[in-house]
Amino acid sequence: MDTLLSGQMLFAALVSGSLYALVALGLNLVYGTLRLLNIAHGDLVMIGAYTAFWMISLFAVPPIISLVVAAALCALLGWAVYVGLFRRMLAKPELAKRVEANSLILFYGISVILQNLAALAFTSTSRGYQYLDTVITWQGVSMTGNRLLTLGIAAAICFGTILFLRFHLFGWGLRAVIQRREAAQVVGVNLNRVQLLTICGGFAVAGVAGVLVSMTEQITPFMGFPFTIVAFVVIIIGGLGNIGAGVLAGFCLGLVETYGIALTSPGYRSILIYGLFVGVLLIRPEGIFTKAVRS
Amino acid sequence: MTTPLLSVSGLRASYGPVQVLFDVDFQVAKGSVTTLIGANGAGKTTIMKSLAGLVAPTDGEIRFEGRDITQVPSHDRVNSGLCLIPEGRLVFPGMSVEQNLRLGAIAPAARAGHNQMLAEVFDRFPRLRERRSQLAGLMSGGEQQMLALGRGLMARPHLILMDEPTLGLAPVMVKQVFETIVELRDAGFTILLAEQNAKVALELADRAYLLENGRVALSGPGAELLASPDVRRAYLGM
Repeated sequence: MDTLLSGQMLFAALVSGSLYALVALGLNLVYGTLRLLNIAHGDLVMIGAYTAFWMISLFAVPPIISLVVAAALCALLGWAVYVGLFRRMLAKPELAKRVEANSLILFYGISVILQNLAALAFTSTSRGYQYLDTVITWQGVSMTGNRLLTLGIAAAICFGTILFLRFHLFGWGLRAVIQRREAAQVVGVNLNRVQLLTICGGFAVAGVAGVLVSMTEQITPFMGFPFTIVAFVVIIIGGLGNIGAGVLAGFCLGLVETYGIALTSPGYRSILIYGLFVGVLLIRPEGIFTKAVRS
Repeated sequence: MTTPLLSVSGLRASYGPVQVLFDVDFQVAKGSVTTLIGANGAGKTTIMKSLAGLVAPTDGEIRFEGRDITQVPSHDRVNSGLCLIPEGRLVFPGMSVEQNLRLGAIAPAARAGHNQMLAEVFDRFPRLRERRSQLAGLMSGGEQQMLALGRGLMARPHLILMDEPTLGLAPVMVKQVFETIVELRDAGFTILLAEQNAKVALELADRAYLLENGRVALSGPGAELLASPDVRRAYLGM
């Protein structure tokens, strides 16, 4: 019982929750505005992780700087995918309908390619490095610097995005596209620009998440898939395309996972996560934080 | 005759292999109410969407204020003063009334002075002021239509395209929408109205076009079409 109420436990839950929220944020943005089911989202996390690893191993560049490099790299990938693959298809309504349905398979292909390219280039050996892993104790809670940094950056990006969507005119346009794509065009939102910037931003956020993950976990070419799954679980719990709710759901999943495991055993991790997922689908398929509105 | 505000010539459009518009020609004079009437599936909504840039025509030309806008993207059309009030209203359900209205002024040309415009819209539709912080998705169909109209006005349009504004509304709301259209006309707005409710539309139209199967079958002053035996028999049930 003491462990359950300890700050230690809460800290662990918040760290994993913030990462889930961050990974899901990018997926949710891309799904919401472009209606693309990016099954390769977790592989962007992998790319971000390798970026941080090679930057520190080869050039002794600390991950805090690699954050920017990984974000830029993934944003560039987003740009390439959008311009090279989706722009022409999304421009034509009859093709756009099929793009949405086919995106799962298209991105599955991209995922396989990325994983195998990474395996070819870097081999499938797990890699890792040490960064800010000294223990800091504050108010009886022991934390490593890298986890504290993870929580700080992930939470800052998540809440920064929410504030941006709430208060910036471009953020309003983005929400308009998520809620009603055609109506957004009707009021004069530049759809092309919103979509391009969103896919770049969504991909960049996944890259950032990868850098954060690499500070505390082992890196392999196939590490991405579990992140894709968790991200899908999170955005379905929160409500597809509902950005704020997705962030909240990410933190909830972290809490449920950490406290659930503490109460049962680590063997129950998958049961807890998927149990929550299936439970939400059965009881509130529109997402637990989604308000009921007439369209 | 002066150059019309909007001039459409030879407009064709298709959904996949199905052609829905065949060489449609019409004009909208500045300061007038022009109406497109016709049965369901005659092509009214497709014309409206082509004008707003939501459907790409396969052929033909759309000129607005003397400029060829056939290939111009939708957000640029809004910015140049062409504003669609879409069929089904399409408000943003998860946003408040006020946010919906402010989004109406997202085009750069409408941004300056949009607070004053918001006050004007609230004066025109006091109901919207009362409900400014309510979620748009929780309002009735008639209120949503008022909101869609208000949102359109926020863009400071030179031409308002109204696509089936009375569709699915209760009779009392239908009356109110038409009253609003008259008010807007009297305030100097130019309106292109696509409407199934042919009688009322023809009564208030300066000029009318009757669409049948994607073609203009008949055109003339509203009163003239209203008196035409063919129109009376087929569309007015008289």
